[in-house]
Amino acid sequence: MDFHFTDEQVMFKEQVIRFARKEIVPRVQEHELKGEFDAQAFHRLGDVGILGLHFPQAFGGSDADVVTTVLAGEALGEAGVDGGLTLAYGAHTFLCADTIFAHGTDAQRTAYIPKLASGDWIGCMGLTEPGAGSDVSSMTTRADKRGDRYVLNGNKMFITNGPVADVAVVYAKTGKDLKHAGISAFIVEKGTPGFSAGNNLIKMGVRTSHTSELIFEDCEIPETQLIGQEGGGFLMAMQTVEWDRSALLAPFIGGMTYVLEKCVRYARERYQFGRPIAQFQAIKHKLADIKIFIEAARTLCYRIAWCKDQGRPLNHLEAAVAKLFVGDWGLRPANDAMVLFGGYGYCHEYEVERSFRDSRLAPIGGGTSEIQKKIISKLI
Amino acid sequence: MNFDIGEEEKNLCERIKGLFTVDGGADLIHLENDQPEVVRRATLRWAASLAEAGYLAPGVLNGRNSVSLVVMQESLAALAPSLFLSVEVSTRIFGRLVAVYGTSEQKDGILSNLTSGRIIGTTALSEEGMNIENPPLATTGVSSAEGFRVSGSKSHVVNGPIADWIAAAGTIDGETGTSFFLIEKSRKGLVTGNRLATLGYTGAAISPVHFEGCPVPSHHVIRPEDGSDALKMVRLWEDQVLTAATLGLMRRSFDVAVTYAKTHRSGGKPIIAYQEVGFKLAEMLTLFQTAQLLAYRAAWMSESGDRETDALAHCAKVFCAEAAEKIASESLQILGGNGYILGNPAEAGYRDAKYLQIAGTSTEISRMKIGDAVLAY
Repeated sequence: MDFHFTDEQVMFKEQVIRFARKEIVPRVQEHELKGEFDAQAFHRLGDVGILGLHFPQAFGGSDADVVTTVLAGEALGEAGVDGGLTLAYGAHTFLCADTIFAHGTDAQRTAYIPKLASGDWIGCMGLTEPGAGSDVSSMTTRADKRGDRYVLNGNKMFITNGPVADVAVVYAKTGKDLKHAGISAFIVEKGTPGFSAGNNLIKMGVRTSHTSELIFEDCEIPETQLIGQEGGGFLMAMQTVEWDRSALLAPFIGGMTYVLEKCVRYARERYQFGRPIAQFQAIKHKLADIKIFIEAARTLCYRIAWCKDQGRPLNHLEAAVAKLFVGDWGLRPANDAMVLFGGYGYCHEYEVERSFRDSRLAPIGGGTSEIQKKIISKLI
Repeated sequence: MNFDIGEEEKNLCERIKGLFTVDGGADLIHLENDQPEVVRRATLRWAASLAEAGYLAPGVLNGRNSVSLVVMQESLAALAPSLFLSVEVSTRIFGRLVAVYGTSEQKDGILSNLTSGRIIGTTALSEEGMNIENPPLATTGVSSAEGFRVSGSKSHVVNGPIADWIAAAGTIDGETGTSFFLIEKSRKGLVTGNRLATLGYTGAAISPVHFEGCPVPSHHVIRPEDGSDALKMVRLWEDQVLTAATLGLMRRSFDVAVTYAKTHRSGGKPIIAYQEVGFKLAEMLTLFQTAQLLAYRAAWMSESGDRETDALAHCAKVFCAEAAEKIASESLQILGGNGYILGNPAEAGYRDAKYLQIAGTSTEISRMKIGDAVLAY
């Protein structure tokens, strides 16, 4: 075993941290308090190549490996970028663009990947429905073939980037009686008649990522917008799990490093009973627990990334372990950080409060903790 | 990066497993015997087999931890927890102390016998009534014509009743630096207390050790230039061994729970089919895999000499020890009444787990050290 990063990877991570601290982090608080998507920051991520890092250069990417891509996400969190923007990035790059890249035709790749990699277009993915969350196969959105077109009808729910997206990868049933095998994936552009997004949902955390319903009412799209084969959609959605359990988890882990730095500074500066609270055992223990979580979680994440780099098929058990650990065990350090700040930690103006709210999504989004346990217990 | 376990490590683990499948490890029961001589003979017999399999020597001479070492330690700790503790204290703690800080003469006299399983060693650090974190130690050596006369008492010494050599940590002539007195079993003034009855690790021989003006020749004293550094290293080695012990414990407890959950039926189906049990196992495996990777990375960091080595070793010790207790507890819960009967890995693991949070650097002290590290104190 070897846990080394290459010098290039280390340098790249540091570069991303410097960039984010300078150009993104100063804008975070304002947007977070208002619950606004920071389009300018998002486009800057595209300008510097983060949005398309792992795509080939021919498509506007940088040919980065998965571990490097994960480090970029970790770096954003570590710099202090909020969970909303990193979620918007994750949904855009890994759930939308990568699905088109991995399963699309050359024409689809050429049409969409450069625009998505640069951030000129924003992408989203529509899978979850009001009545189909963990149980994906029960989705009711349909795509009916009529000549050389598909007609989509149905609703998608909790779609990250929904209100701001230029293009969506949408999953819909094409088979009548088939469950998973009847799900297909389509590319639907904003402005297509019959396609609309609902209002931004006001959320507890990750507030700078806009989330909404996607509505399809007799939405006609050319058959060339089908990704891959009919019935292949479920496997495509499952393949995004590789990214979800690595690059999408990484900003959360990096974010805990940021929170730890904030806690350390506060513990040194905050005096009670005549001395910095850092000198109290209970405070040191909280700092230790945050540190332990970070170190435990990041290795799980790197393992998924490294295996993907080796071209190995996803180990669903290891992926579920990573998601479950980061989601469930991450709540306590986020809580500890907020409590360490006392009354200040309960106020919006402190980053630990934001982190606490953002962290609550981890056991819910991208497959709940209960679903992870179900997967693990089945595979044991 | 590389997350694969090498073929060499896998083969070594298989060889170790093979040792216990020959006779089912039946004579491990002798370790539970009250008579120190019986325990000693059984320990030496196993140590010789382990040496032959290539287990005892790695990491002793260079004093370095490594992922390969932890992988094979995990394997033995899962098969024979008490034996593991005994041989590790002998080699990877006492042996490393001699190898890294000892003189050539000391090394020549001890190391080859130790790593071939012909003798047993131990280190004696802990003392009653004082925190090992707060030296100077009460055990002292006073200069005399033949070298030093050592007086003091050590508590909870693993291998105390069966060791051929004891390295007792103490001070010399009132100086503050820590030295280690290498004391042979037969040395006059060495009094080994009765073997302690313990909650867990009942096959390990643990006792207090007293030194009553025990004469130790000068050439049997390890006097590192920086005594506090040596003491720190010994504690790090101790924590590394205990961390590896947690991995073995987790593996053993998890495996027995899975086997039981798949074979024990209730309501017409195996109990693993119930979410209450299946989800428990999922949480156990999540903790185990996370702990395993953290321990491996801590070992790798130690090997690479990273500046965060100490902090990560403490992170691994705390996380792994607490995960082990949780997994052991849930394992016992899954086995239900059957788990509550003495003599199965679930209940033994449950009893053993507490030791791993107490021994070495306790989880409380470890957290303080991690806190100090992140505060850069």
